[in-house]
Amino acid sequence: MKKTMVGIAAFATAGALVLAGCDSSADETSAAPTEPGASAEGQNITLWVMGGDTPAELRDYLSTEYAEATGGTLTIEEQDWGDALSKLTTSLPDSENTPDVTEIGNTWSPTFTTVGAFSDITDMYAELGGDSLLKSFVDVGVVDGKNYALPYYFGSRYNFYRKDIYDAAGVSVPTTLQEFSDVTKQLTTSDQSGFYLGGSDWRNGISWIFANGGELAVKGDDGMWVSTLSDPNSIKGLEMLQDLYTNSSHAPVGEFDSTPWVNINDNESTGKPEAATIIAPGWAHWSIGDLSENEAGDPINVWNDEKNGVFVLPGVDGGVAPVFAGGSNIAISAASKNQEGARELMKIIFSPEYQEMLGANGLGPANLDYADSLGDDQFAEALRTSAASSKLTPAAPGWAAVEGSGLLEEFFGKVNGGGDIAALAAEYDEKISALLNG
Amino acid sequence: MSVATDRQPAATVPTRRKRRPIMPYWLLIPAIAILVIGTGYPTLWQLTNSFREYGLPQQFGKPAPWVWFDNYVTLLTDGQFWAVVLRSLIFCGVTAGVTLVIGLGIALLMTAVGRTVRLMLQVSMLLAWAMPVVASMTVWTWLFDRRRGVVNYVLDKIPGVDMYRFDWLAEPLTFFFVASVIVIWMSVPFVAFSLYAGLTQVSEEVLEAADLDGATGKQRLRLIILPIIRPVMSIVLLLQIIWDLRVFTQITILQDAGSSASEFDLLGTYIFKLGTGSQHFGMAAAASVVVLIITLVVSGGYVWRIMKEDSK
Repeated sequence: MKKTMVGIAAFATAGALVLAGCDSSADETSAAPTEPGASAEGQNITLWVMGGDTPAELRDYLSTEYAEATGGTLTIEEQDWGDALSKLTTSLPDSENTPDVTEIGNTWSPTFTTVGAFSDITDMYAELGGDSLLKSFVDVGVVDGKNYALPYYFGSRYNFYRKDIYDAAGVSVPTTLQEFSDVTKQLTTSDQSGFYLGGSDWRNGISWIFANGGELAVKGDDGMWVSTLSDPNSIKGLEMLQDLYTNSSHAPVGEFDSTPWVNINDNESTGKPEAATIIAPGWAHWSIGDLSENEAGDPINVWNDEKNGVFVLPGVDGGVAPVFAGGSNIAISAASKNQEGARELMKIIFSPEYQEMLGANGLGPANLDYADSLGDDQFAEALRTSAASSKLTPAAPGWAAVEGSGLLEEFFGKVNGGGDIAALAAEYDEKISALLNG
Repeated sequence: MSVATDRQPAATVPTRRKRRPIMPYWLLIPAIAILVIGTGYPTLWQLTNSFREYGLPQQFGKPAPWVWFDNYVTLLTDGQFWAVVLRSLIFCGVTAGVTLVIGLGIALLMTAVGRTVRLMLQVSMLLAWAMPVVASMTVWTWLFDRRRGVVNYVLDKIPGVDMYRFDWLAEPLTFFFVASVIVIWMSVPFVAFSLYAGLTQVSEEVLEAADLDGATGKQRLRLIILPIIRPVMSIVLLLQIIWDLRVFTQITILQDAGSSASEFDLLGTYIFKLGTGSQHFGMAAAASVVVLIITLVVSGGYVWRIMKEDSK
């Protein structure tokens, strides 16, 4: 008898341990009611920035200014872009763990604003810049005419190329998208990619869809979003992309979140670069050039005008191809207990001083009145030209889920892997449409 | 542990039905309470959520409607889910099996070699065992790196073998081969130590007697050593199966280094993508419950046998 009892107890224990292996993936949380404090005085707040895009100088400025304005402490926590979506999903609803102010990928704005993750800041809109703020970014943060998320900075993508390699091969910078394919194909050898593009790198790949007049998704008359990869224009773009990837890129089919600039710098062991051309966000130019050392003796890359150059991705009939409008929005967490402090920080971020600092660091300022601060060098020029015709991903409520699901990486990987485009497009249209409407 | 009880049969079987002490049950309460709070509550929460529609709006405070078995029906009629289940079971079976064989081999080796060599073996295995997963995964992904990995470099040196820039993580088969190698590397020390502990319980006299009766080495292993350490092997294999079925970190990190497409998913990453990635928490909860049932089915027989052996 006793044996069986002990046995049962042991089995219960073992069972519980087995169960422990299957943790629930989501934390239980509840949206806490916000209690707007009477003043920002002495409120200690947290700001989440995504990745290393915001340089240290700008972070220091924010902390100092915030301390001066309120007497409180501003803690800046950097989140990895890759984990950010899941961290935001679990932290934002929880008033104990939420950042008070957070940067979010601009394409995630519709998702989070729709579910009520952010505080209504319509009353501050005019004070923070109003109609001078980058409109497309403001629009993705609006629900029912109210502002929840505002632009933080914009960036865009353009090409970096090796002048020395182009010159040696006697080719010049392409002026149409087809020429881009031809030139990069010509520059491709067994150990050099004419154009290094990760097979699953959809954020760059979508430029070919956009350039051919295609869309990722459109909103139907019934208000429902549908994925449009099978649209004839999208297919045309995908065919072009598949051809380009097959002939010009040695990057693995699965590569999606690469640091492309390492491929255009001379490889230490071979003395030559992996690629003749790459496409990257504008600020990548800080990481491109000849290997050198800074004052502290750390290795850095120094831009060399003799060898390094930039050009914007050309369109189908010349001109400029629409690239993915990179950049971020910024918003106050609705669950934050420090609404006043958070609002104070927003004022600092949208101040003329900070906006100009963004520009000086190569990040497109949210307030276009300060766009001149970007300067007028070749990078600023390329940034302006490419940003002017850049395009956002669909403002569908479920877009963040589409990004989080990894379906786009998978789709572009399969297309570039040589799959049947029409069949794949139909298959993934169905999968993506199921997520688009939240 | 179970070896010890095997060797002292019937030591605790009560022969007289006197007052049964209730103290042991009181002593069990704290442990059970911790389990109930720590794992019972989340499991219950997960179970209820698997019957509800639970997405991002619900995460931000909207009511979660009951959909009962909808999540399960969607899941169980999805071919992709079954493909992941099958892949996970095969991966788990192969990995756990190979781990056990290698672990047993090393355990036998440790009984056969001298003290110094044994110590070296033990230290190196402890190092492998103590290495944090993320740190060792970083090194592993470097080893198998397409361009600069030492594996490709060495293999390419072999005449007639072309491994120049071979992408191990591009195809599911080689991807899971690498994953399996890594998981085995991480689990072998535990298996080897446990089995070695078991082997030290095999008495010298028995082996000597077998030797005198003319048993060969192979026969001694098969007919004497293995049956004696069988209880330990059962428990170790059971734990390996459970661990390898829910493997997550290694697969995620390899996906980051290679491809994150769904052909490279095992149950752990599949559920993560479904829940945290696509924000279908209800569906993810349902998938977790299904995995729990699969785990119980796979390991239930084992648990039962181990319990029966214990009570013999």
